[in-house]
Amino acid sequence: MTNVATDRRLVDDLVASVQSVGLSVTASSAWPDRADDPPPPALPGFVLSSFSPLVAEVAERCLGAAAGLPPLPLARGDRTAFVLVSPLGDVAAAVHVAQTVDRGGRVGPLLFFQSVPNSVAGYVAARWGIAGPVVCLASPGAGPDVAGLLIDDGEADEVLVIIADQSYMDAAGDRAAAVLVRRDASKGANP
Amino acid sequence: MVEAAVVSGVAAVSAFGRGTRPLLSATLAATPVFRRVERFDVSRRRVSVAATLPGQPDLLEELVGVVDQACGEAGLDERARETCPLLLAVHGDPTLARADVDDRPAHSAQSLADRVVARTGLSDKLGLDGRLASPPTRVYTSACVAASTAVADAATLVALGRADRVVVAAGYLVESDQFALFDAGRALATDGSVRPFSAGRTGLLLGDGVAAVVISSAAAAARRDAPVLARVAGWSRTGDAYHVCQPRPDGAGLARAIGTALRRAGVRADEVGYVNAHGSGTPFSDAAEAAALHLALGSHADRVPVSSTKSVHGQALEASGLLEFIVTVLAMREGCLPVNAGYLEPDPECRLDIIAGEPREASPRYALSLNAAFGGANTALLVGAA
Repeated sequence: MTNVATDRRLVDDLVASVQSVGLSVTASSAWPDRADDPPPPALPGFVLSSFSPLVAEVAERCLGAAAGLPPLPLARGDRTAFVLVSPLGDVAAAVHVAQTVDRGGRVGPLLFFQSVPNSVAGYVAARWGIAGPVVCLASPGAGPDVAGLLIDDGEADEVLVIIADQSYMDAAGDRAAAVLVRRDASKGANP
Repeated sequence: MVEAAVVSGVAAVSAFGRGTRPLLSATLAATPVFRRVERFDVSRRRVSVAATLPGQPDLLEELVGVVDQACGEAGLDERARETCPLLLAVHGDPTLARADVDDRPAHSAQSLADRVVARTGLSDKLGLDGRLASPPTRVYTSACVAASTAVADAATLVALGRADRVVVAAGYLVESDQFALFDAGRALATDGSVRPFSAGRTGLLLGDGVAAVVISSAAAAARRDAPVLARVAGWSRTGDAYHVCQPRPDGAGLARAIGTALRRAGVRADEVGYVNAHGSGTPFSDAAEAAALHLALGSHADRVPVSSTKSVHGQALEASGLLEFIVTVLAMREGCLPVNAGYLEPDPECRLDIIAGEPREASPRYALSLNAAFGGANTALLVGAA
């Protein structure tokens, strides 16, 4: 069973972390964000694993809260980056592939593109018109720092930061959080 | 103030062996080594070849080796390494998917990076500049732009004065699972050759690649009397906002990355003397990249020499961008541009000056190293001669 108090802590920690590096939060979201939160809906073309639907769902909630319906206006989308943090990546799909290979089977062709976190990032970016940098990281706490770096480097004005923590045991322990951030003008760039 | 970022140490392992010289020689001589994979069973695969080292090399050991070697070349002693962070590009810990369920967290990519840091004496301290939310060791998993994004981030950290030097390392050793996935996705070349931009190309082939570079501020390199092999003159990362796994056919996203990299450096399109292309060898992707070069470079795209060295060392996935960045740096120093192996004849969809057959003698002041990945992620790195 999902522990919602613990799961909300992921987004609360993410908000605190981005604020600690001088970024301000335009919108945030979590999955699950309540005890009876239904599972993220399936995504066309993504199979066998909760990872990509989890990412897409928190992205939808966060961007929806910030901007309404997709896509973002062109000028805003062009200046928005996407940083996706996943400590173990799509571990359910990776385990399925390994088990299939070890028993001498053939893996399904759809799993080909699903094997990298970029693919669901591309799904979100295409849907919302996010045309800034797409960066995937495995370092659990690095999202806020890399988001700040992209803004300070002039590559984006806003960054969608998602941490997707797919359970390494079963989907019941999945959790994810998203924030849309920009540089807090009153605090300026990091030194 | 913007600090100049320079390359002061490089190291690589490829199917040609350990060291950058065998890699450069093979890309200049156009001698690919795609051969039947012996490392794991390929009997049930459509395609059975890749560019691999003999035996069963270990990713951690190879990463430690290249980091040590690049730091040695850059003259980084124990004390200098203690303040030098690691940006690592990998698919993940290759043992994760077969680890016991309870042990999986110990097989994270971060844990692999932390072990490289512990073994090589790089910095594991909080905060490059005291205001970071996380430890400085970062792992990039953005598929085929993972390593080039890490180079761009390293150059940014140096340019903004947040680090004197950064080690970027990357590694992929051909293994059974990605091989099976690429085979199932019908992405692998069916004729045993990678033929980027050529008529008749049938796809990519995987290859081993483990590499490391030291990116320093010019001032920090000068203080240590470290070699300056090249400058990271410009860089950019962009997205296509187009598709899960296909590039924009008009190349607009990659073209924006090229344009931004040039503007950042104050370099005109016609000053670019070589392009080390992403050039995966897949029909759709090469055509989109050719379109991007025309969009970004205008008429100069008809004249600038282009090659994809994946035709020789193969596609090293998360590590490929670093292998190609190093080949670009070394080729500029050598005064000789690498060959696009496997080229048969022009494809009207790829109107470019492809370096086919023989390497070209040239000492360009600037060269581009381009990469593109699933999710529409693009990077452009502009290398300046030292």
